[in-house]
Amino acid sequence: MNFRRGQRIEVFQRSSEDMWEDYMNEYIGCHGIIVDPDTSVNDPNALVEVSLVGKGTLRLPQDCLKILNEPGS
Amino acid sequence: MRENNCPVNEMVLELNNVLQPGCMKNPRSRRIVEEIRDLARDIAWGSAGPDHIPMLDKLQEELAERISDPEASPLARRIRKTLDERREVFISHVKTRNCATGDCVKLAPAPCQMACPAGIDIPSYVTLIGMGRDAEAIEVIRQDNPFPWVCGLVCTRPCEFMCVRGRIDKPVSIKFLKAFAAERAMSDGRYVNPPREPDKGKKVCVIGAGPGGLSCAYYLSVKGYGVTVIESLPAAGGMLRVGIPRYRLPAEVIDRETAMLEDLGVEFRFNTRFGSDVTFEQLKQDGYAAFFVAIGAHSAYKLGIQGESEYGAIEAVDFLRRVALGEHRRPGGKVVVVGGGNVAIDSARTCLRLGCAEVTLAYRRTHKEMPADEEEVEQAEEEGIHFSFLAIPVEITGEAGRTSGLKCLRAKLEPVGDGQRMRPVPIDGSEYVIEADAVIAAIGQQVDRDCMVGLKDMNWSRRNTIHVNTVSMETSLPGVFAAGDAVTGPATVIEAIGGGKRAAQAIDRYLMGIPQPSMPPVPVRRARVENIEVPAATKMSLKRPEMPVLNIDRRRTTFQQVELGYPENAVREEARRCLRCDICRRCGECVSVCRDMMKLDALQLGYFDFDHPVKTDFRTTRDKCILCGSCANHCPNQAMQIHYTDTECILTLCGTVLNRGKLVFCEGCGKMLGTTAYLDYVRRRIESTGNPKFKQHLCDVCQRKKAADIASDIMLQR
Repeated sequence: MNFRRGQRIEVFQRSSEDMWEDYMNEYIGCHGIIVDPDTSVNDPNALVEVSLVGKGTLRLPQDCLKILNEPGS
Repeated sequence: MRENNCPVNEMVLELNNVLQPGCMKNPRSRRIVEEIRDLARDIAWGSAGPDHIPMLDKLQEELAERISDPEASPLARRIRKTLDERREVFISHVKTRNCATGDCVKLAPAPCQMACPAGIDIPSYVTLIGMGRDAEAIEVIRQDNPFPWVCGLVCTRPCEFMCVRGRIDKPVSIKFLKAFAAERAMSDGRYVNPPREPDKGKKVCVIGAGPGGLSCAYYLSVKGYGVTVIESLPAAGGMLRVGIPRYRLPAEVIDRETAMLEDLGVEFRFNTRFGSDVTFEQLKQDGYAAFFVAIGAHSAYKLGIQGESEYGAIEAVDFLRRVALGEHRRPGGKVVVVGGGNVAIDSARTCLRLGCAEVTLAYRRTHKEMPADEEEVEQAEEEGIHFSFLAIPVEITGEAGRTSGLKCLRAKLEPVGDGQRMRPVPIDGSEYVIEADAVIAAIGQQVDRDCMVGLKDMNWSRRNTIHVNTVSMETSLPGVFAAGDAVTGPATVIEAIGGGKRAAQAIDRYLMGIPQPSMPPVPVRRARVENIEVPAATKMSLKRPEMPVLNIDRRRTTFQQVELGYPENAVREEARRCLRCDICRRCGECVSVCRDMMKLDALQLGYFDFDHPVKTDFRTTRDKCILCGSCANHCPNQAMQIHYTDTECILTLCGTVLNRGKLVFCEGCGKMLGTTAYLDYVRRRIESTGNPKFKQHLCDVCQRKKAADIASDIMLQR
């Protein structure tokens, strides 16, 4: 588990995963919050649930996400 | 017109331009265009009825017939083209009161609704709960989620993470409001199913009676399909029943909500294992036209450490399943649970309730990194669960076939990669043993593929999950759809429900021969509920209530529900904290107008910005606001409103009363002039053009009249 619940993230690039679908390209650049991190095995490749502003909540691979600085930090 | 723009909004904008002064000069044509614009605006604002689109057609034809007007014909052709090519978008706006692009600002879903994997219209139902209309709230919820009571108790609430109120203080307690409304509606006998559509004469088989399977079954049944659910367990619920302990989710709640599906006509075949008791081929021969696979992820990962095969580690999901099905034997006196997720916490708290004297949870990272729900962790701590953080299990120790402990290494967290992420690294020579006579492994689950061997052409992902198109939930097998944990891996109840609902929509399209969409569906606004009026001071001072819980002795000894629910007054007040983001889109127009145009800066609404929220205080508005109404006039969504009573002027933002002031009336004719603050502001602004002549409050007409009277008096005196 690399991400924590409540962290602010940005979808900063396309994922190299095969589950990345073309419609997800629209999410690149979107900001959001980690809602449900990988709760199972400590798998750096696990899908994490993110809520993206204006787009909805979905599971994305970790390699397309980066953590944004917390407000005020 | 670009395909990804909303044609309804674009039509309104174009017609507004056409109706600018100097354009469309023919009065008859102008009137027709105004009527078309008004109808299009109704559609864009979600207030259109079924007659709006036919009326648009009729008016377009009228406009096209005005051959004598050179401006009318080209416009009529453009309107016709839009109505023909993008008609479905107009119909969708009328039927769903939803704009997929968000261009029609009044129809865009709120952040909480967008965040909900099932797309529930949260602001509408929260407001209805605030008004005491619980049964109507449940009706709104069940259009997107057939299990409001279950989710009210166990949802991971992504909505609350995106709740805009959280940028001011704490998010609205959306989850518990839902639980209250469901319980109240059920208790009142007003929790009812929607009417079922006429029978479509087709059967669908749902494999798995977990939240995903049941949701799919519910929506297909409402649409008029015959649905059979096959389940290997003796009762419905899947992980709800056998994965979530009773102190969090009483079985009666699952029973009551799944009974609603039976009332709809859904047939259940319990104790029937897919792949062995019944095969895919047999089901096809039985005439099922489509299949939905929601088998969950019930197979546990092994610890993979020394001593595991010799002394054994209990699988957490298996342990919880046995307890849920009635086997209330404690696994040992001293128990170690390995893991940091919700399943680990559930296992540890269950052990305590079964009578284990000492329960320790071993987790390889720290408290901060635990993926389990924070409230669950707090409650576990209160109940006396011990936590051993930064513990990496290396061996299960024992004697004569009996477990004696769990040997661990201490770990330290070190950054990896870009430095943002931390991983536990074992410290050499830091071995220690946690005494235990049972070890429970709760490090995750995966899909049990054994039952799926008959579906040879089904594609699986490298994560050992069913590979689907995530928009339509179609698998590689025609007519076979899948969702829930079997697709995502172990995930949340609300994700499974959302997946089940999406699959039901896709199965309906498949059976009706309609092409599948290429983008995930946008949540639908289910209602347009009026605002609840709340004074600014109340809006700011209302605090999210604490959840009353069962006393600690009962929590350690029984499976009684821990969270007792809010009392009714707390529920109604909590609902009033909602900012109604379905109406206010936080565009900032009001703030800009007040600050830059009027130079007042009376609106301190720092919560508008997602990335950089600053201080918000609704109460400070009244200190600087003059009740000029500019903010309300510039609000594109009528979120900011100014109302006039006989004596007062009131400024509200989605029902929050920001300011109110006494009105001043013309001393000559009685016409309303505004507030004293507003008149003073105007006086200050025009001071540079010369001193105002009168100290009286007079309207323009009376001022001119009075000036004329004075002038004529002077003339007469001369």
